Amino acid sequence: MKGSNYEKSIHRLGRVGLVIGIGFMLGIPAVISAAFDVWPQGGINEILLVGGGLLAVFIPTAAAEVFSYVPILGSASYITFLTGNVTNLKIPTVINAQALTGAAQGTEEGDVVAAVAVATSSIVTTLVIVLGVILLVPLKPILLSPTMATATTYLLPALFGGILLSFVNDDCGEYRAKNKSLVLIIPLAVVIGINCFYPLGGKEGFVVMGCMVLNVICAYIFYKTGIIKMSLKEKKK
Amino acid sequence: MTFIEIMNSPLLYCLVGAGILYILIFCVLTLRKAYRHGLEIGMTKEQLRTTIVSSAIYTIVPSISIVVGLFSLAAVIGVPWSWFRLSVVGAVTYELMAADMAATGAGYESIAALNAAGDPTIVGTLMFVMSICIMTGIVCVLFFSKSIQKGVTTARNKNGALGALLTAVLSLAIVEAFLPIQLFKGPVYAAVALTSLIATYLQMEIIVKRLKIYWYRSFIMAVTLLIGMASSLFWVKVLG
Repeated sequence: MKGSNYEKSIHRLGRVGLVIGIGFMLGIPAVISAAFDVWPQGGINEILLVGGGLLAVFIPTAAAEVFSYVPILGSASYITFLTGNVTNLKIPTVINAQALTGAAQGTEEGDVVAAVAVATSSIVTTLVIVLGVILLVPLKPILLSPTMATATTYLLPALFGGILLSFVNDDCGEYRAKNKSLVLIIPLAVVIGINCFYPLGGKEGFVVMGCMVLNVICAYIFYKTGIIKMSLKEKKK
Repeated sequence: MTFIEIMNSPLLYCLVGAGILYILIFCVLTLRKAYRHGLEIGMTKEQLRTTIVSSAIYTIVPSISIVVGLFSLAAVIGVPWSWFRLSVVGAVTYELMAADMAATGAGYESIAALNAAGDPTIVGTLMFVMSICIMTGIVCVLFFSKSIQKGVTTARNKNGALGALLTAVLSLAIVEAFLPIQLFKGPVYAAVALTSLIATYLQMEIIVKRLKIYWYRSFIMAVTLLIGMASSLFWVKVLG
């Protein structure tokens, strides 16, 4: 049962890794507060008072993101949520890698690809930021130029426009799902329709969750009515 | 010591350096474990190499935008804590918002005003608020990740072809949610998205399919990002 052993050990590694990460997140402020005697004067109450507004916004949003993205990320969720930049970097990286390797979600191959992709991406990001810190002075005028400011503002539309075609395929792990891409139409129309009357910016976590439900319903109906046809892929070799 | 002196202190640099080193070790351990398991279950080295190369190349451009964020954040809360926050969980918009809320909570007009006043007493509150308020996601992953993944895998395995289909369509939600929201932000956003879409299509059709340069597939997304972002300079002039 190699698979289940791996599953157990990768989740164990992820959980231990997250707990240590939390240790750093709280430990660094604690050490600095102790060393410079700058503890929050009102203790935990002060932290809650100051951060209350943020918590009110981020608790539901972050929870929605977890339930939306974990089905896509699998065991890579731990490292993804610890290193951040989930939607603007990690999820597109996973989708790109899965499309390139033909590994489907919900399979062991898909999970391995997600973990390898996110780990690689996190290492590269960390190293690029280290480089940025080292080259802070010479890089500053270039990276803070108006040209760079404009270009980086449009990172997300460039990213999601580019990745659309990765979703347009019949690939479904060991199966081929003819017309699978038709599932995109109704959720896209619904999001566009709602956006016309009620801007959804900033609520992406909830929108993803709603779209997942719609996708499952559409795919189920299309499958039962014969619009989507599933066939086993021919094995290579 | 003033606020910014503490926030740029050698001690904070050392602590953050240790934190970053830990993140790198965690990433390498995950990568090694997943890579080995990939080979065990019959994946080819070529598939795993493609995953590593494409992910590494694809990551560079968005990472540069994170460095840009680092500069804006470092100007108000110093270099080391900005460095840590952007390497662990954070994103620059959240970090600026959290830092600003801590400063206004302490009676200052903004984080920039706190920085200018040099008040060191708020350092602890600021750092704790920035860490604690973003932890919801991590805590949820800690408790629910395994069961969510198990649910998806079981649904897939139990229901044959239908299970495979229903789990495969989950990821479509990403593009269904994010693309329209970006398109509705304005004509420049829509034009950039369309430019990227066309750039991807042309690279796939011409370079990969017609010229049969298959290794180029790993570079498509990175090149697309560069083309899309560069096109924004043109579109801002035309439509902005």
